[in-house]
Amino acid sequence: MSGRGAEGLAGALGAATGRLQDGDQPPRPPKPGKKWVKTTKVVDGHEREEWIEVDAAGGPSWPERSAMRVLHQRLPRVDGPEKVTGAARYPHDVRLPGMLFARLLLCPHPCAKVELDLEAARKLRGVHAVRSLRPSDLPADEDWITRYLGQPVAAVAAETPELAEDALRAIAARFDERPFAVTREQALAPNAPQVRSDGNLGRRNERGDREAAEKALAAADRVIEATYVLPVQHHLCLEPHGLVADYRGGEEATVYASTQGTFAVHGEVPRHLGLQAGQVTTLVPHMGGGFGSKFGPGVEGVTACELARELKRPVHLLLARADEFLTAGNRSGCVQTVRAGATKDGKLAALIATIDRLGGIGGGSHAGLPYIYTCGASFSEIRSVHTNTDGSRAFRAPGHPQASFAMESVMDELACAIGMDRLAFRLANLGDDVWKRQLERVAREIGWEGHRHKAGPDLSDAPVKEGIGFGVSTWGGGGRPECEVEVRIARDGGVSVFSGSQDLGTGTRTYVAAIVAEEFGLALGDVTARIGSSAYGRANGSGGSTTAASLAPAVKDAAHKAREALLERLAPELGVRPDQLALADGRITGGGVNIGWKEACARLGADGITTHGTWQAELAGNGVHGALAARVQVDTLTGEIAVVKMVCVQDCGLALNVLAAESQINGGMIQAMSYGLFEERVIDPDLGLMLNANLDDYKIAGCREMPEMLPLIDEEDRRGVIGLGEPPAIAGHGAIANAIHNACGVRLREMPMTADKLLMGLEALRAGARGAREGAGGRG
Amino acid sequence: MKAFELVLPASLEQALAELPEPARGRETARESVKLLAGGQDLLGELKEHLVEPERVVDLKRIPGLERIEPAPDGSIGIGALATVAALGEDAAVARGFAVLREAALSVASPQIRNVGTVGGNLCQRPRCWYYRHEKALCLKKGGSECFAHGGLNKYNAILGGGPSYIVHPSDLAPALVALGAEVTLRGKGGERTLALERFFTLPSEGSVLRENVLASDEILTRVKLPAPPAGGWRSTYVKFKERGSYDFALASVALALSMQGDTIREARLCLGGVAPIPWRVSAAEAALAGRKIDAEAARAAGEAALKGAEPLQHNAYKIPLAKALVAKALLALAKA
Repeated sequence: MSGRGAEGLAGALGAATGRLQDGDQPPRPPKPGKKWVKTTKVVDGHEREEWIEVDAAGGPSWPERSAMRVLHQRLPRVDGPEKVTGAARYPHDVRLPGMLFARLLLCPHPCAKVELDLEAARKLRGVHAVRSLRPSDLPADEDWITRYLGQPVAAVAAETPELAEDALRAIAARFDERPFAVTREQALAPNAPQVRSDGNLGRRNERGDREAAEKALAAADRVIEATYVLPVQHHLCLEPHGLVADYRGGEEATVYASTQGTFAVHGEVPRHLGLQAGQVTTLVPHMGGGFGSKFGPGVEGVTACELARELKRPVHLLLARADEFLTAGNRSGCVQTVRAGATKDGKLAALIATIDRLGGIGGGSHAGLPYIYTCGASFSEIRSVHTNTDGSRAFRAPGHPQASFAMESVMDELACAIGMDRLAFRLANLGDDVWKRQLERVAREIGWEGHRHKAGPDLSDAPVKEGIGFGVSTWGGGGRPECEVEVRIARDGGVSVFSGSQDLGTGTRTYVAAIVAEEFGLALGDVTARIGSSAYGRANGSGGSTTAASLAPAVKDAAHKAREALLERLAPELGVRPDQLALADGRITGGGVNIGWKEACARLGADGITTHGTWQAELAGNGVHGALAARVQVDTLTGEIAVVKMVCVQDCGLALNVLAAESQINGGMIQAMSYGLFEERVIDPDLGLMLNANLDDYKIAGCREMPEMLPLIDEEDRRGVIGLGEPPAIAGHGAIANAIHNACGVRLREMPMTADKLLMGLEALRAGARGAREGAGGRG
Repeated sequence: MKAFELVLPASLEQALAELPEPARGRETARESVKLLAGGQDLLGELKEHLVEPERVVDLKRIPGLERIEPAPDGSIGIGALATVAALGEDAAVARGFAVLREAALSVASPQIRNVGTVGGNLCQRPRCWYYRHEKALCLKKGGSECFAHGGLNKYNAILGGGPSYIVHPSDLAPALVALGAEVTLRGKGGERTLALERFFTLPSEGSVLRENVLASDEILTRVKLPAPPAGGWRSTYVKFKERGSYDFALASVALALSMQGDTIREARLCLGGVAPIPWRVSAAEAALAGRKIDAEAARAAGEAALKGAEPLQHNAYKIPLAKALVAKALLALAKA
């Protein structure tokens, strides 16, 4: 359990938006032949910007985009048919001879003294192990007190999932409830129960100059003050967290892990199996979603390994759905109170914010305010408020969606306060032309030009009103020298590429094959990508949108070397120089030579060709923007909010697979919309119970909620590969909030933005209008 | 779920023989025998350990109970095992009882409609998240407190609540009540037929542990839709879901009108999602009778329908919402 504190700490690091700060220089002059590049480093899925030293020149380069035949095309995923037909085998699907099913018992209270009697459970037929998860470093004479609602306290392994559940219920667990804090208010109350030994207020930091900000605020022409409240959001991975540990005694084991980090799991599981790394193979054939929550093995993975070690039988431990809500991480909630001022001519003059991150026993994350927009003077105070709930984890652009919602709302409120077009006000306060051109593009696509009411709500009598809102985003997405890739060409013409990297669902397997196919002038189907195994070359975890930018250059490097090796081998036999030969359309041509790929490969030795590639800085880039617009319909009678259209433009350097890149953009828009309109963890503050730890009551958007979506890749960005999984998930909910206001005049500052809040907002608006009329009448 | 004996009777008689005598006045939250039809509610309850019966009586092998049978007089007999999907697709229902068809098609998802039954839909237990949480020992589960009353009650009752504040989750029930449906309950000694409206009980009327009058030794076998009035029903079901794809009603309105020219001869109006039972509002029906369909009638009906509503801390929004739905329903029926 000690890992949780570390995850919390990583949240603080996630607040870095270093690329936005000017004056950032490399640490020292480069060595001869080297240069510094700034790129993204990820700790537990939280990104951080960092300078690294790389070769100044050399290495392969991407061909012109217009010359590409496989890459930068619209490629259906190579494993798509397998996935949609159910043939793809995920870790959860693994069934092995003699396999046992394990489950965790979670503490049903936010804080309790725990005493367990395991005997009755152990006696059940078909139950092979029942163990307490009491921390081993807790002295025997000390009380065991749980720290959060849903903390695992025991584990069982049995012959069927049903027996495992029976065993859980047969554990005689005595939970002596202690006072708890599950809300911010409870945690901040005088005499609040102490959540962590270091108190209820965690990391606190300040940014900016308070005095200068106050002065600028006092001088501003218009000032707004508002509080924005965001709930805890869950990752909702379709496949729950966990793994299958296949150990049957002896000195070898295989682990099937649902993870976004093959090597993050592999680095930990061997010792829990009592083995060395070389004796264990960690496999991630397919995995059902992570969104930042699935790096290490977690308590569930560690327990599975320890049970397998004890029982010498394969153990399957993937969390139950309810457990996913209680002990598998979340996006931290937050409360942000902002005072901000603008000048009449449309400049953001000052911003002062207090920000409480609500990451449970973890630290939570927040990208900081002001977010992206240029501000005259600012000051913010950020702190973590701890509650007796599961610690937050990285979640698709950690901290950014929270910051974006407040920032885009502030920008909108200020634009309204000075009576300025909300798009124009944004454009006037962006320091970078890329954001400006992107915002102008989404404005065009969403139909802003012809929109009737730009500065305020629709004041007509129509019950259904439309509004438009905007938002911008930023992310790193750079690569690092973390991947080693092998490419093989066999004498039968078969081409395979090997990387330990996992496919988080982003299409990794497809672009890995596509890069090699492009290099060899082959079709996508001619190349087999073998990924998701610790037996292959090392690779980074899929966090911070860094997979593509780290892996693709290494694949390209390996493929490029294989191509050169092949031509050097063939050229003398064919009586030409290597540089005369070209590879295209499955043939090798030039210098009078024209032979098919297979025919050429038949001339290789039985050992074929094997090459290894590493990361090449020139093939990747770092630092992206992004802009989004949403068109929303609001039924002012029922409070129904329907998102009609979303447009998102994203720069990402070279999009390896246009179809997959668009899919990422769509997925980001959907996740942000669902977050904005539906998602919220609900915990009863008095009972300390989570009331919606299921997919009925924890609502997410379904097919009927899908708007028309227009995902646009910013092709003006001519850099190398940059990840784009995260930025499209940042600005959607803020844009929707602003579109709702633009439609009907109700400013929803609290998410999720549901019909009840809108209806009450409309009632308040009408009451305000009545009050104003009556007030005016009274004076007259 | 806890292990139980599964009984598969081939006839109603065999099924009834498996049922325990009613413990009149001594009901407990723990029922020893549960009836299984589509299982869309019961399986969830079993898995969540909200019920732990010793015996489950599966009704699906009993022949004939799945039929939907129109009679020559225009009435329709609906077997308790008819699926919600079958009801939604039935031609006779679509012809004469639009409100019921629309209600059926608004239920949950296609998968659930394909399996869930009419009888099960009417007998389903509340969705209140306190009731559904095993560790919250609420009034409905034999505890002493309705946690929703002073708790997180956004989805709870604004009408008819107390001492429990659940809302009845059925979509079919408001539609059937509006249409004046009758329900047949078969017991060991014979059967009784009553207006569906009388089937449901407020927490303040019957046992707070139950939502209806079905005794532990009875089986709901049949629903009868009476023949429409001369000229037929003009009817509709308007349901508001927080999430359109798949949800229970935050509020819903079943409205059936019998028209004479463009004047309302008779109106039948029943609200769903706002009260512990389908909430028929005769005041709103009276407010509509003899009027033409227009915005003023819609407003008056909405006001009358929500008269006496007492919102809890987090559900005052249901009042304007339900009023708006009443108005929408009425105005949607302006054209034949």
